[in-house]
Amino acid sequence: MSALSLLLVLFACLALGIPVAIALGLASIVTIALFADQSLAVLAQRFFSAMQVYPLLAVPFFILAGAFMTTGGVAKRLIAFANALVGHFQGGLAMAALLACAFFSAVSGSSPATVVAVGSIMIAGMQRSGYSKEFAAGLICNAGTLGILIPPSIVLVVYGAVTETSIRDLFIAGILPGLLLTAALLISVAVIARRKNMPRQPRADFATLLRTARVAIWGLLLIVIILGGIYMGVFTPTEAAAVAAVYAFFVAVFVYRDIRLREVPRVLTEGAKVTAMLMFIIGNAFLFGFVLTTEQIPQMASDWITSLGLPPWAFLIAVNLLLLLAGNFMEPTSVILILAPILFPIATELGIHPVHLGIIMTVNMEIGLITPPVGLNLFVTSGVAGMSAAAVVRAALPWLLVLLAVLIVITYVPAVSLSLPAMLN
Amino acid sequence: MHAAIRRLSLALDRLEEAFMGFALAFMTIVTFVQVALRAFGTGFVWSLEVTTYTFAWLVLIGMSYGVRTQAHIAVDFVTAKLPPRLARTAAVTALVLSLAYCVFMTLGSLVFVDRLMTLGNDARDIALPRWLLASVLPLGFALLGLRLVQAAWSSRRAAPERNP
Repeated sequence: MSALSLLLVLFACLALGIPVAIALGLASIVTIALFADQSLAVLAQRFFSAMQVYPLLAVPFFILAGAFMTTGGVAKRLIAFANALVGHFQGGLAMAALLACAFFSAVSGSSPATVVAVGSIMIAGMQRSGYSKEFAAGLICNAGTLGILIPPSIVLVVYGAVTETSIRDLFIAGILPGLLLTAALLISVAVIARRKNMPRQPRADFATLLRTARVAIWGLLLIVIILGGIYMGVFTPTEAAAVAAVYAFFVAVFVYRDIRLREVPRVLTEGAKVTAMLMFIIGNAFLFGFVLTTEQIPQMASDWITSLGLPPWAFLIAVNLLLLLAGNFMEPTSVILILAPILFPIATELGIHPVHLGIIMTVNMEIGLITPPVGLNLFVTSGVAGMSAAAVVRAALPWLLVLLAVLIVITYVPAVSLSLPAMLN
Repeated sequence: MHAAIRRLSLALDRLEEAFMGFALAFMTIVTFVQVALRAFGTGFVWSLEVTTYTFAWLVLIGMSYGVRTQAHIAVDFVTAKLPPRLARTAAVTALVLSLAYCVFMTLGSLVFVDRLMTLGNDARDIALPRWLLASVLPLGFALLGLRLVQAAWSSRRAAPERNP
């Protein structure tokens, strides 16, 4: 009964267009009022406690680091480097766009920002070099999603915080699947390029490669500092995020000089706005999770699933379908916040590793970003490329198949996610 | 009179933005300095608690700022497909329910702060009473309600032709 009320109120509120955060909170309040002997004061206290969860402190710092790195200048430098690296292959410009998306989305932490920054330069550039607009837009729309998997990833931080899974392990686990996905997209580009006889560019000489690398390295070092620092045990993920934010500030203001000192307050306010918006959802998700636990809903769901005698692989198919569906309607963090507390106990019961589940959920969310009706990347791409949303959906579709294939591999070969953390621990 | 109110409201908006930016910068620097100091085997005991409370203030003040800048994520593909009259009803219902949320959370927060006052103890590492640090909770939810009303009011005046 309480589970029904919780989900019913949630979906009704969402359908009415109430912000996700408030919908989560209202569903919790109503369910508590109807079924549980808890006071509103406990909910207020719970909400407050979300801001005292140490791993979640990484969220504002990563957002700030991303805010400093989300400039056209950073995108240009990464594109120049990627182009010097792979431009001379057949379809080289497309591969460069893909790599630039992977770099930029990892550094900026934002998929839509990647599509805007890389897309606004590369879609026009690829068209000038003889690629079709659909090919360029579809590729960049997909490649922009790589950032939520390649660490540092806020989605993984949120998953780790709600399920109390090590964020260090999640970050390290994200590396191989991220590389696998990038490689799969690269190979697809190469195959299509050969078949359609796409253009190649003159090979960049070694001096050019070195020069572009030296410029781009300042941005890419951000990933190295975070992963290296966490892995070597120099700092926690939260501390790594703070160091990354300070580093990004120095690079943006003093090395790249993309942002002037007097523009820094604006960047700070922008970062604070995104932080507050995200934490408002997370705080309410904590209420939601609290009600789930007090009403023992995950326990009941877990009992029900195990009573069905479902083998883990069948459960994983169900998880994928559920997540793909949810990802079509909500953005990644909200889906993780609502579904992770429910799926996590069931998965543990079935012997699925928490880190593996986190990676599966994240790759599903990538696909959600490029499927209608709420695929954020679709709309951003449509704006950048000047195409209708429907045209972008069609353009993105072939690449979606690559993502789906990789999702299947990541789901059914746990080693892709788990071997690297196991090796390093 | 109206001009004075508008100026005051504008000044409050600026103050809100400045506070949020400052809070984010402050918690980043405190955490960064803590990491740097640890390299020398030292540090502040209060660093973590100061950071988490600054974080809470940033979020609770920032919630209402998000309403003003329309930053909050909502699922709008259902309401976007409704005929205008139904869409308006949905919008009004959504507003009323959102306000109910603010009222419930403000009340709950007040009770929570009142309990902390009765307990009367200070924070662990900061020489400030806990109720004072938590007082941003009712303030934040009340401000959120205020901003929701404000946003609804201005959209009502801005787009009357959408509702035949």
